[in-house]
Amino acid sequence: MNAQRILLLASALLVASLVAAVAPHVTWRTAVTEPASTAAPVLPGTISFNRDIRPILVAHCFRCHGVDPGAREAELRLDRPEFAFAPRKNGQPVIVKGDPARSPLMRRILSSDPDTVMPPPETHKTLAPREIALLERWIKDGAPYEPHWAFIPPVRPALPDVAGSATNPIDRFVRARLKEEGLTPNPEADRHTLIRRVTLDLTGLPPTPEEVEAFVRDTSPGAYEALVDRLLARPSYGEHRARYWLDAVRYADTHGYHFDNYRSIWPYRDWVIDAFNANQPFDRFTHEQIAGDLLPRPTPSQLIATGFIRAGMSTNEGGTIPEENLANYATDRVETTSQVWLGLTMGCARCHDHKFDPISAKDFYSMAAFFRNTTQPAMDGNVMDSPPVLRIPRPEDATRDAALPHEIDRATQLYDAHLEAADAAFMEWQQTMDAADLPTVAEAALEFRLLTDGTQPATLRNAVAQDQPFTFTGGRPQVVLAPHGPGFRLPSGVTANLGSLGDIESDQPFSVAAWVQLPDNVDGAVLARTDVANGARGWDVWLKGSRVGLQMIGAWNQDALRVVARGAVSSVGWHHILVTYDGSRQAKGVRIYYDGRRQGVYEEVNSLSGSIRTKTPLRLNRRSTGEGAGGAAIHDVRLYRRTLSAPEAQVLARRGALETVLATPPAERTDAQLLPLRDYYLAFVDAEAMQHQRALQRLVDEFEGVTSRSKVTLIAAEKPGETPFARILIRGQYDQEGPRVGAAVPGVLPPLPRGAPANRLGLARWLTRPDHPLTARVNVNRFWSQVFGQGIVATPGEFGTTGDAPTNQPLLDWLAVEFRESGWNVKALFRLMVTSATYKQSAVASQATREKDPDNRLLSRGPRFRMHGEMIRDLALRASGLLSARRGGPSVKPYQPAGIWETVAMEESNTKIYVADRGEANHRRSLYTFWKRAAPPPSMETFNAPSREQCAVDRERTNTPLQALVTLNDVQFVEASRRLAEVAITERGADDAGRLDAMALRVLSRPLAGAERQALTPVVRDLRQRYAADGTKSKALVTMGDSTPDPAIPVPELAAWTMVASLFLNLDEALNK
Amino acid sequence: MFGSASLLAGAPGGLPNLPHFRPKARRAIWLFPAGAPSQLDTWDYKPKLRGMFGKELPPSVRGDQRLTTMTAKQKGFPVAPSLFTFSQHGQSGMWVSELFPHTARIVDRIALVKSLHTEAINHEPATIAVNSGNQLPGRPCLGSWLSYGLGSLNENLPTFVVMTSTYTNKSNVQALSARMWGSGFIPARHAGVSVRGAGDPVLYLSDPDGVDRETRRRMLDGVQALNARHADALGDPDTDTRIAQYEMAFRMQASVPELTDVRGEPESVLGLYGDDVRRPGTFAANCLLARRMIERGVRFVQIYHRGWDSHTNLPHQHRLQAQDTDQGTFGLITDLAQRGLLEDTLVIWGGEFGRTVYSQGTLKEDNYGRDHHPRCYSMWMAGGGVKAGTVFGETDDFSYNITKDPVHQRDLHATILNLFGLDHNAFTFRHQGLDQKLVGVEAPAHVVQGLLA
Repeated sequence: MNAQRILLLASALLVASLVAAVAPHVTWRTAVTEPASTAAPVLPGTISFNRDIRPILVAHCFRCHGVDPGAREAELRLDRPEFAFAPRKNGQPVIVKGDPARSPLMRRILSSDPDTVMPPPETHKTLAPREIALLERWIKDGAPYEPHWAFIPPVRPALPDVAGSATNPIDRFVRARLKEEGLTPNPEADRHTLIRRVTLDLTGLPPTPEEVEAFVRDTSPGAYEALVDRLLARPSYGEHRARYWLDAVRYADTHGYHFDNYRSIWPYRDWVIDAFNANQPFDRFTHEQIAGDLLPRPTPSQLIATGFIRAGMSTNEGGTIPEENLANYATDRVETTSQVWLGLTMGCARCHDHKFDPISAKDFYSMAAFFRNTTQPAMDGNVMDSPPVLRIPRPEDATRDAALPHEIDRATQLYDAHLEAADAAFMEWQQTMDAADLPTVAEAALEFRLLTDGTQPATLRNAVAQDQPFTFTGGRPQVVLAPHGPGFRLPSGVTANLGSLGDIESDQPFSVAAWVQLPDNVDGAVLARTDVANGARGWDVWLKGSRVGLQMIGAWNQDALRVVARGAVSSVGWHHILVTYDGSRQAKGVRIYYDGRRQGVYEEVNSLSGSIRTKTPLRLNRRSTGEGAGGAAIHDVRLYRRTLSAPEAQVLARRGALETVLATPPAERTDAQLLPLRDYYLAFVDAEAMQHQRALQRLVDEFEGVTSRSKVTLIAAEKPGETPFARILIRGQYDQEGPRVGAAVPGVLPPLPRGAPANRLGLARWLTRPDHPLTARVNVNRFWSQVFGQGIVATPGEFGTTGDAPTNQPLLDWLAVEFRESGWNVKALFRLMVTSATYKQSAVASQATREKDPDNRLLSRGPRFRMHGEMIRDLALRASGLLSARRGGPSVKPYQPAGIWETVAMEESNTKIYVADRGEANHRRSLYTFWKRAAPPPSMETFNAPSREQCAVDRERTNTPLQALVTLNDVQFVEASRRLAEVAITERGADDAGRLDAMALRVLSRPLAGAERQALTPVVRDLRQRYAADGTKSKALVTMGDSTPDPAIPVPELAAWTMVASLFLNLDEALNK
Repeated sequence: MFGSASLLAGAPGGLPNLPHFRPKARRAIWLFPAGAPSQLDTWDYKPKLRGMFGKELPPSVRGDQRLTTMTAKQKGFPVAPSLFTFSQHGQSGMWVSELFPHTARIVDRIALVKSLHTEAINHEPATIAVNSGNQLPGRPCLGSWLSYGLGSLNENLPTFVVMTSTYTNKSNVQALSARMWGSGFIPARHAGVSVRGAGDPVLYLSDPDGVDRETRRRMLDGVQALNARHADALGDPDTDTRIAQYEMAFRMQASVPELTDVRGEPESVLGLYGDDVRRPGTFAANCLLARRMIERGVRFVQIYHRGWDSHTNLPHQHRLQAQDTDQGTFGLITDLAQRGLLEDTLVIWGGEFGRTVYSQGTLKEDNYGRDHHPRCYSMWMAGGGVKAGTVFGETDDFSYNITKDPVHQRDLHATILNLFGLDHNAFTFRHQGLDQKLVGVEAPAHVVQGLLA
């Protein structure tokens, strides 16, 4: 008998003797076992399937005898009564109602034979004696099943009768529950605690000393309620609510995967804030985010709301498989939607039927179908406006923005009309036109023109100089035929050193032109004089997802310019590209042309001010290191040391084609050949046409200006005319397709109403139908946890059978029904919660309540817990008076330790280098801080902020030394401390006790107790002596941060009190609400 | 300091019933070459390829392997024999590429696995998988599991530390992110703490300018005095925890700089690691820090080194990358062995997957690139109970398919857990109603007996 077998036996014996096995594989020390109890376990009066039995089956049986047919053993299902009571092969069911002794289920559980005992020893699962007794009693009582509580729609329960005068229904339910446990509620907290708690909970900010004072003095009956109403009306209310929502919908400012580049979706963040502030009913809030684009005649606001669909991660990694990416995006949306609205984790069903909940793989892919019918591409292109997007013009541009498309249309029509009229003249002209009359681009200031002579493998020479040919390194490229002569194709790694050419200074104009034939979605430098090791100093023309860009860098990215075309160069055929620069050091001074047509651009960086010259040579297809644009074919690369004009751009791109046409006798010219000739005629010969073109160009330029000033946000758009569907992917593998399924909701929940569209809109409306068992409960529960610290269901993302049972289901159901029937009124719900006596209780915990209600799950005391990182930072900013009142807008980059982004980001990422903003940006509310998914703001992350890579409906609340280091040492907090010291000193003059009180009022919303003041007095004295004795240290401390210290206060005094203020900001009471 | 008595004592913060059996390893250092080094150019010697330059990889070998879109459309699959010379080393006669002259000197201390495999074909999912057992983010990685199960070995430093190293090859560098050392659904205190080569080694560790230790102490005394009063008044045990954590923070402000201050290391030790060791942030400097952490009771250290993703120009890029890491690796193993620490410290070398035998892009006599290859690749382990001087698993003549003793990443995980005295099936964390395991719940994992001493 081998060792493994002995261990199995040992474990089985432990099971048989009904002792709790600690670790079945313990062989080298004595297993610690509980003494076998002879007393029968205590069982409740009546057995509830949902409360008592289902958790046992979930923990021990369903993995092999549950919903998932793939994992099912012995063809036995215990999750549904019709299967559990069905006769087996031997004619007998495994559960014999009323007779545990004859039920094979019990016999197998009690068996001492390792081959037959259940659960089998290799699962390492054993039933506790009480669990066995419960199963026994349940079978004896007839083994009644119940559907899972959360799948039954809530009905409004009657209010429990409780002694006392509780008027708020919440209190009636909570007190009824407390009474069951023999607990009594705490008295109301003092007024100071109360105003701090409710102000922080409703607005995320502490009250001002004046507000505290006024509230404490106002003893009128409705004073508290009036305060609540004032707080609910503040814009900071919406900001605070939005922050929780943004965790759930995984909002961030970067794409997430691979380059993790910037994306523009902050208008969606602002939409969420506005929606909470406007108290948008939660059903509409739901519809607009999930399906705003499918509403009839959607408003811009409703389109912005669909940022919810787009807020997930996306990729542009070369080599990833588009179908797999799309499957991943849909999975993320299913998972987010099901967590946020249904409180279900559907992710498991991606690969197999859910083991415990009645969610099948078919259910999962049917849900995925809702989300797979959008026009979002599989690759995000690494651009900030990965389509589809909504462009929102500035208010002052709105009129022109609306008018310009029509004006452009009209101008186009006029031009078209002229074209018809001009056709006869053109036909006449083309007969007489001679190639020799074509304009040329002057060779003035042409520094080089790179050509190859057509022999294999390719050679390379500068056609405007008699220099030696250049040599390729890393391989010899193949010659390929370009429209106007031989070109060559450059694989990655092949380059040519062009020596001292292109030694350009940032104030010198130049133009780079070339014919190219590009692979799909190619990245890399085409022509570069860039010294990568030296901060990428220099300049290059490069490709980003086949978009042409120019960058000029003194020091990235404080002294740099980077402009990229919005559109990609087509991978079909050859195209002419031209980049011109006017020497202005401005992004505006850059123009990019494809085939002679000017392109819209992104001005990614616009901070160039100094020199860009570098010693590194000019190279083809590579910067000083790196790979270049692998696989691009190139012909006739030119560098002009002047700014080519728009007509010159046309000539460069078209002259070759025109020469070919003109070489054909007029009578033999085909319509296709006449096209470029006609373009030329209109651009250079027909004066009236030229006038039309100029007028049109003016309008187009104006529109371009309006566009580039607009804000842009990612939105969802449905594929027109297509019915949503998905294919079941076997084990979640994108390349193993199973049957096709249409969009549908999980079978265990109510179906989509007859006639409802099977698309996102149908889904969104279904979520808020009155008889929905989950949406109201799940969201009420999350709102509840924001205020009380934990949900009535402690697992806010898991209402299925594996989640925690509600601590007080009547309360949850009452609130859910109330929420729905109030018209999904979120502010009313918060008002109801914070005006309850339950909420207003003192947080003091006696020994007795700590024992009976250790985690305050029963609410025997007021809510008190460590705040989220954002609240702690915002509190420091507000208490010190630094907080900026500005709301909304692009995300900001406040103080951050060096190297956070740089150590994780890819070289090519445009969020590799963190350039901190200056001034006010350091003092904005934390929800406006730029969120890079691969490296979230470190001070927030330290306080358990999620990465926003996926949906997070719950944050952990750890208590670590790393958190202490943030609030002690982060310059953000040091600066706030100094500012708080200035406020206290200015306000209270030389009165030390007064200064301490001023700080306490701002941070803790209360004056200090006498004993506290006494405890601090020697600390103040000591700090004062230390700093008085060391001017250098004093100066160093008070000059931390971006703002300047108050010159009216002596530096050593300010330094000492900065430390005192920091002391306040680090108190446990300050970090807790 | 780490006598056998403490083996049985159970570490602070660990689970009461763990380890399941007597562990051989108590600490680990994982050297992670990110981007996928080519097994064909490092550890998996294929002499028969020499005569096959440019020949098409036989379709029978290629089978129906999934390709990345980078080479899926490639017209041919020409065999690219390694440009590097291999020779045999040590008592074991292990074949090692000329890329690793220093590591070659310690082959008798390592167990080489040539038959690792995975399903993932792109970096991000594969890196997450080799760390956490699953391609999708959101699961705890190995270091978090060990921290959760076995707890901390010290009071002044984190249990699980991650360091990222500087790297010379700047092309094709893959991103790293905290999700690779995240704790997933396990409590966040078990996530890897990033110790940095530049700036504060631990974020926000340094006191602000103008605050010295005594001033900080005095200020903290004030904080703690008020906190103690508050704890008495409210009875919230979290306040007591906070008081303790502020003290821990204060101690770390001293212990971490002591850890990272290597000025006391003798020349004889620095010499083992090579010249790079004097430049903070290099792989070699991180290796030395890793040893110092291990000595001070850090449980798990991971050192990342990026830049191995050689789709093109592999010979050049791999040479640079090997120069960055070879001597540091040798120094670390040798230094640990000299101090008797290698005995119960497991060192792991390896990353997310391997590379193809065929060239990506044009094959030249002096140059080639290789695409991603998940079907087989090499890793090695040393110390901590592994069978030294072993080569485990075999691949075919093209290092394309495994021919003997396949080791899935989940088997590697099971084996590592086994070395730590943990049964990979019994070591679980309940999440979403499932007893989650590092090795996953989808397919069985096996301890690779052939790797155990």
